[in-house]
Amino acid sequence: MKITELDKKLKDGEKLRVSILSNFTIDALAKSLKEECLEECIDTDIEISPYSQYAQQIVEKTSALYKFSPKIIFIILDIENLLGDFFISPYSFDGNQREKVFNERFEEIENLLKLLEKRINSKIVVNSLLLPINSSKGILENKEEKGIKNLVGNFNKKLENLAINDGQLFIFDTNNFCMKEGYSNFVDKRFSYIADMKLSTSAIKNLAKEYLAYIFPLESRTKKCLVLDMDNTLWGGIVGEVGIGGIKLGPNSDGKPFYDFQKKILELFERGIILAINSKNNLDDAMEVIRNHKYMILKENNFACLKINWQDKVTNMIEIAKELNIGLDSFVFIDDDPSNRELVKKFLPEVKVVDLPKEPALYCGVLDELKVFNLFNLTNEDLERGKMYVDQKKRNFLKDSLDDLNSFIEQLDVKYDILDDSKKEISRIAQITQKTNQFNLTTKRYSEEEILKFIDSENFLVKSIRIKDKFGDYGLSGLAIIRKAKDFWEIDSFLLSCRVLGKKIEFSFIDEIKNDAKSQNIKGIIARFIPTKKNSPAKAFLNEAGFKLTGEQGESKEYLFEI
Amino acid sequence: MKEIKKIVAKILEIEESKIDENSSPENIESWDSFNSLMIVSEIEDYFKMKFSTEEILAVKTLGDILRVIKSRDLENTNGTK
Repeated sequence: MKITELDKKLKDGEKLRVSILSNFTIDALAKSLKEECLEECIDTDIEISPYSQYAQQIVEKTSALYKFSPKIIFIILDIENLLGDFFISPYSFDGNQREKVFNERFEEIENLLKLLEKRINSKIVVNSLLLPINSSKGILENKEEKGIKNLVGNFNKKLENLAINDGQLFIFDTNNFCMKEGYSNFVDKRFSYIADMKLSTSAIKNLAKEYLAYIFPLESRTKKCLVLDMDNTLWGGIVGEVGIGGIKLGPNSDGKPFYDFQKKILELFERGIILAINSKNNLDDAMEVIRNHKYMILKENNFACLKINWQDKVTNMIEIAKELNIGLDSFVFIDDDPSNRELVKKFLPEVKVVDLPKEPALYCGVLDELKVFNLFNLTNEDLERGKMYVDQKKRNFLKDSLDDLNSFIEQLDVKYDILDDSKKEISRIAQITQKTNQFNLTTKRYSEEEILKFIDSENFLVKSIRIKDKFGDYGLSGLAIIRKAKDFWEIDSFLLSCRVLGKKIEFSFIDEIKNDAKSQNIKGIIARFIPTKKNSPAKAFLNEAGFKLTGEQGESKEYLFEI
Repeated sequence: MKEIKKIVAKILEIEESKIDENSSPENIESWDSFNSLMIVSEIEDYFKMKFSTEEILAVKTLGDILRVIKSRDLENTNGTK
């Protein structure tokens, strides 16, 4: 998908032309920026001004810059090259002299920018000047009225003022970027002296990433809608297992990362980002949290669309797009489960899938790093978009169209290991009977002692299953307890943790039991489904696994599999 | 050496098989002074070490780079003993 998109663009010759004007050696930026753009399927043609000739390029009417006619121009000036000794040893000069030089330099740049804007209507991004980190004035530096930090700060402030009401001009905050990189990563003095490279090679690579924030809106790649998972994304834990009281969400300790994450998301909503939910959950459990959890920041009326069900996430995503009537290429998807992310990446490559780290403390940072919501200007409509879509909630459905789901699961490379009567894992086995609500046929809870009795008994078989796929080990995440009679086996318990659902492991697990029974000349397997408020995901399973309904007692259903 | 070749090949945009200890700006066209610095920088990242300015300026061939890496290895082993 990505490749064909790119191919198409290449054929059309629609390369994005980018110019970089600088007063130091920055050739490496062209390569890095080209690579970053290609990652996003944006093919670029990037020109760097000849060494230190940024001013000539702007002043000369017939310069290469104007012939190239870029759609966007990045201007990045090194403060040392701009000010020379006034930056290296500023206090060798008196304050008025310093100030004069700063004012002159600013005027020069202001005039260059005005000229440039008059001659070309491309977007212009100017990097602000790097503040010095030390000064010979030491602890008295910030008491100097015309101190070097003050002067650089004022210069940057004036630069920003130029851009405030100018739709063409943007200021990239160099010092903010340097803070993120750390000064010692930002500059490499050796390379600076050897080749006048004022930015380290690692800083250049990351600068290219930062510049994408300007490239996306230029290429109409701005995302509109944030699609969120719930369990372990909006709150810690699985609500279907631990209940509304057991999830982590709130202003204290381990609930705080999720609480803050929700606040950040609400902030995006308030600046016009449409929110939607795509979650595997029981609707009732999830809605109870949204409606009644004391610390739930995001409310029902923040979401334009709620897909809370047991369908795969791709189908849900397509349905969300259809209901909201916006393209899938406007979506950002956040989910803590790597296999869900892989699924969406594979089937819907136009969706931006965020690789959420395992550590919830880092969630907010990941959201801040997203550069995909930028616009060159925000209209009132942009700001209201999130609310508009909530108001316009419409219901229309798309048919399932996922013939390829099975092949995706194959690619997950799911591996499992089934153990019979393993005493090593008794505590986990008991725990999983206590905690598993969703994919659980009978929802019988057992203590460690009871499990031990089953294991020691000739009449019972306890099978536990360990599962892993290419994304990691899920550990012991499924269990079957079988009562053995002479001719028939009876499934007392059969359950899988919801972490491993959607991979069709349940079928492999039940097949294993069928095969065991067969090898012991058993005639049939009896199983029951006892419905609870939460185990609807397991409702259809026995039927799908080839069991026949033989009877009903109240709400409980009895099935038989004949061997 | 395999990793080093890989790094150098990527920067110079040539095949790994064309690289050996004697590779230098003399016999590889794309090896200019700028790429020389890129090679040093990538190797520093990979081996988690730093060249001195003097060492960078003294690099004439790939062999020179290898010698600097080796000298750091020796220092490290001596240090731990």
